[in-house]
Amino acid sequence: MRIKVNRDKCTGCRLCLQICTIEHFREINPKKAALRVEAKFPDPGKFRPYVCTQCGKCEEVCPEGAISRVASGAYLVDKDKCTNCGECVSACPVGVVFQHPDHDFVIICNFCMLCTELCNTGALVKWEKAASLEAKEA
Amino acid sequence: MVIYLKAGGELRSKLQPDVDYYTRRIEAEAGKTLSDILIGIGISPAFVAFAFKDGQLKRLDYLPSDGDIITLQPPVSGG
Amino acid sequence: MANGLAGTTLRINLITGDIRRLPTDEALYRRWHGGRGITAKILYDEVPRDADPLGPKNIFIVNAGIMSGCYIPAGSKVEFGSVSPLTNGPGDSNMGGHLGPTLKFAGYDLLIFEGISPKPVYLFIDNETVELRDASGYWGLKSLDCEKKLKEDLGEDFEIATIGPAGENGVLFSCITHDFGRQAGRTGQGAVMGSKKLKAIAVRGHKSLQVKDLDSLRKQVTGIILRTQKHPNMVPWQKYGTAFFIQWSNSNAVIPAYNFQTTFYEDIDKIDGDKLVEKCLITDKACFGCWMNCGKYTKAVIPGKPEVHLEGPEYETASLCGSNLGMKDINHVAYINWLLDNLGMDSMSGGGVTAFAMECFQRGLIKEEDLEGHTLKWGSVDDVEHFLDMIAHRRGVGDWFAGGTKRAAAKIGRGSEKFAMQVKGQEMSGYDGRWAPGMLLSYMTADIGAHHNRSWTITVDMAEGREKVEGRAKIVVYLQHIRPLFDTWCICRLFWGELDITPEEIVESLNHITGWGVSVDQALRTSEMIWNLNRCHYIERHRDSGRTFDYPPARAWEDKIPSGPGKGKGLSLAQIDQMLDEYYSARGWDKKGNPTRELLRDLGIDFAADNLEKLGFLGEPIPGGIPSVRGEKYKPKAF
Repeated sequence: MRIKVNRDKCTGCRLCLQICTIEHFREINPKKAALRVEAKFPDPGKFRPYVCTQCGKCEEVCPEGAISRVASGAYLVDKDKCTNCGECVSACPVGVVFQHPDHDFVIICNFCMLCTELCNTGALVKWEKAASLEAKEA
Repeated sequence: MVIYLKAGGELRSKLQPDVDYYTRRIEAEAGKTLSDILIGIGISPAFVAFAFKDGQLKRLDYLPSDGDIITLQPPVSGG
Repeated sequence: MANGLAGTTLRINLITGDIRRLPTDEALYRRWHGGRGITAKILYDEVPRDADPLGPKNIFIVNAGIMSGCYIPAGSKVEFGSVSPLTNGPGDSNMGGHLGPTLKFAGYDLLIFEGISPKPVYLFIDNETVELRDASGYWGLKSLDCEKKLKEDLGEDFEIATIGPAGENGVLFSCITHDFGRQAGRTGQGAVMGSKKLKAIAVRGHKSLQVKDLDSLRKQVTGIILRTQKHPNMVPWQKYGTAFFIQWSNSNAVIPAYNFQTTFYEDIDKIDGDKLVEKCLITDKACFGCWMNCGKYTKAVIPGKPEVHLEGPEYETASLCGSNLGMKDINHVAYINWLLDNLGMDSMSGGGVTAFAMECFQRGLIKEEDLEGHTLKWGSVDDVEHFLDMIAHRRGVGDWFAGGTKRAAAKIGRGSEKFAMQVKGQEMSGYDGRWAPGMLLSYMTADIGAHHNRSWTITVDMAEGREKVEGRAKIVVYLQHIRPLFDTWCICRLFWGELDITPEEIVESLNHITGWGVSVDQALRTSEMIWNLNRCHYIERHRDSGRTFDYPPARAWEDKIPSGPGKGKGLSLAQIDQMLDEYYSARGWDKKGNPTRELLRDLGIDFAADNLEKLGFLGEPIPGGIPSVRGEKYKPKAF
C-alpha cells in the first residue's frame, strides 16, 4: 500500500500534517508530520506535497540497523536503536525523513493512510501496487 | 422525465430530500426550465444562487433532461 | 497549556525595543473568548480616548485566538486590532491563511505592540527567539514583493505578514497582506502598522499544541470533515469560491454598479465566476485546516502589462472593483485586485474610493489637471492603475482620497457627500441596501462602518419583503452576535452556513479544546458584551450620542435605483429612522442610540456605564426596562 500524489490537486490545507501528528504523537504540530507540503509562490503558484515512496534508501544507509521494511511496504523506525544521527535524512531523495528537537529518533511515514482519508482534493490517494511495479518506479 | 435535485444549507429542508440526506427525486414535464420546476415544488428561484450539473454552472433557465442530477446552491451568507 | 492556547503573550515596546514575555492570561480568554473580544478589551482599557490612531498611544494587537491551529475545520485565522484611523473607533480585521496557527506553533497567542519605533523594524519570531530587526532593506517594498524577499532571506517555512507603501505612507484604508494573497483589509490596520514603523511580522514555529480532550475533538472533527466531503455545496465552493455569487447578486439587483449609482450590471458575464475560473485560475488555495479550499490563486494577463499572480478576486473585490468601476474584463478586475494587494490597500475600500472618484470625475468635480493629466473613466484599468498609485503615495488629490470617501467628500464638497458610500468613515461592502432594508440597517449599525461581515440579511429581506422594514432590527441584532463569534474564535465563518455545521457543533469543539463547558447562548452573550463595549468605546471617542453616526449616505434614500430589476426601489428617510428606532429598542439602548446602565450591568460591564455617565452619554433608562432577549434568530416563514 502506497500513497499516490496528484500534486496539481494540492491546495495547501495541511490537514494531512495535522492528522499525522494527532495520530502518531497525540499533538497538533505540522513539524512532526511524516510528509511535507511545499508552497511555490508567487511563481508558479502551486503546492507540492512530498510523501515517502518506499525506496528503501533510509534502511540502506542506517548504521544502526534501526530501520526495517514491514509487510505493508512501510519502513519502520526502531526508536530504541535509532541514535538520531541523521544519515537517513540526508539520504532520502524526497526529503521526507524528519527530525524534531522534542525527540531522539527520526520520523518516517508508516502508511497509516489517514492523510488520504482527509484529503478532500485527491492530492493524496491510496495506491495499491504490486511490489515489482513499485521497485521500477522508485 | 425524472430528475434529481440536491441541496444543503438553507435549501435542504425546503427541498424535502427523499433519496438520501441531500437528494430528492422529482418527476417533471420535459421542456420546463429549472426555475419553473422549483416553483412547482414550492421553492422560490430567488433562493437559489445557481445550479450545478456535471461540474458546470447552470442558470435557472436551464432545461433539464431525463436523469439529470442537479445541485442547488443557496446564496452565500455574505462572502 | 492543554486548552488550545500556546502559552505566551508578548508585549513589545517599539520605542525602547523592549520585549516582555508574559504567561497568556487564561482568565482573559475565558471572559472575552479571544480574537476580537480581547482586542476590544485591551483597546478599551489601554488606549486614551483622545489618542491619535496613527500616534504613539494607539496599541496594535495581533491575536491568534483559541481555536486557530487546533485541527478545527478552517481554524486558520489571526485577528488584528487597534483604534481604526478610518473610523476613529475600535477596529479589528482578520485573515485566513497560515499566520495564526504558525504564531501558536511558535508558542505565542497574543502580541501587543506599543509606541512607535524610531526606525523601520520587523518582528522576527523563530520559536523562542523574538527580535525586532532592522527593516531598512524592506521599507518601501510592495507587499507581495516584500513577502517574497523575506521568505528568500529567512526561509520558505516562515509565515509573513507585511504592509505595502500605502501603509507606510498612512493611507487610512491600508491592509496587511499574507501568504501571497490573504489580507486583513478593513479598518486600516495596515496604516497603524505603518505609523509604528512596523513593516512585517515573520514567524516560524515547531512546537506542539495541546487541547483538553484530543480524542473527543479528533472524533468530532474527523466526523465533520468526512460527512461534509460529500455535501452538495462542497463541489461548487471548491470550484468557484465566493466568485459564484457574482451572478446571483446581479440578477437580484444588489450588486453595486458605477459607484452604487445602480444595482444591475449589463456586462456581468464578462467578470463572473465562470470567467474567473476559465481565464485566470492557476490553483485552488486553502487556509490552514480547511478542506473547502475556496481560495483562488490566479493570474491577470493583459497585453502590454506583465503577467501578475494574485489570490482572488473574491466576491467583494469582484463587485467593488468590477461592476462598481465599470470593468469589462475579468483580467482587468484581477489586475486591480493585484495592484491593491501589492500597494497594500483594502480592495473593498479601494474599490469604493476609486468608484467615488470616478463619479466625481464623471460629474466634473475633479478634472484631468487634478489627476496629473490622466482621466479617471469608468472601465479603464490604466486610469485606475495611475489613480491607485497617486493614493498609495499621497500625491496631489491622492492625499484627499487616501483618507477614504468620507474625508475626500468633505474636501471636494459640492454635494459629493451624498454619494460617498460609507458609514462612520468606512466604505460599503459589495451589496446595495436600497432594495434590501436589513442590509442597509446592517451597514448603518455595524461597529466598524458599512461592513457586511457583522450581519448580512439579503435572503431575509427577500423572504420577508424587500420594501418592508418592520422586523429587520431583531434579526440584525442576532446576526451581529453570532457572526462576530467566528472572529472571536479565529475560525472561518464560511463553513458554518455553507456546509450545515451548526453553532452547537462548533461550541462542542470549543469545549473539547478548552474544557470550558460553554453553551451557544453563553457564547452569544459574550459576543453581545463585546459589541456593547465597542459601542461605548466609540461613543466615548466621538463624544456624541450614537444616533449621530448611524446613518447611511443620502444616496440611500434620495436616489431610487434607476435601472434593472430594482428600478424605482428605495427607502425613505422615515423608513430608515423607523429601522433605527426598532434597532435601538431591540438592543436595549435608548432613543439616542446610547447603551443604558441596566443593559451594561446585565452584561457585566458596569465600568463602561460609569465612563459613559461621566461624559454625559449614558443611555436614559428605558420605560418598561430592557428586553430580556436581545436579538432573535430568523425562522424562515415563506421561501
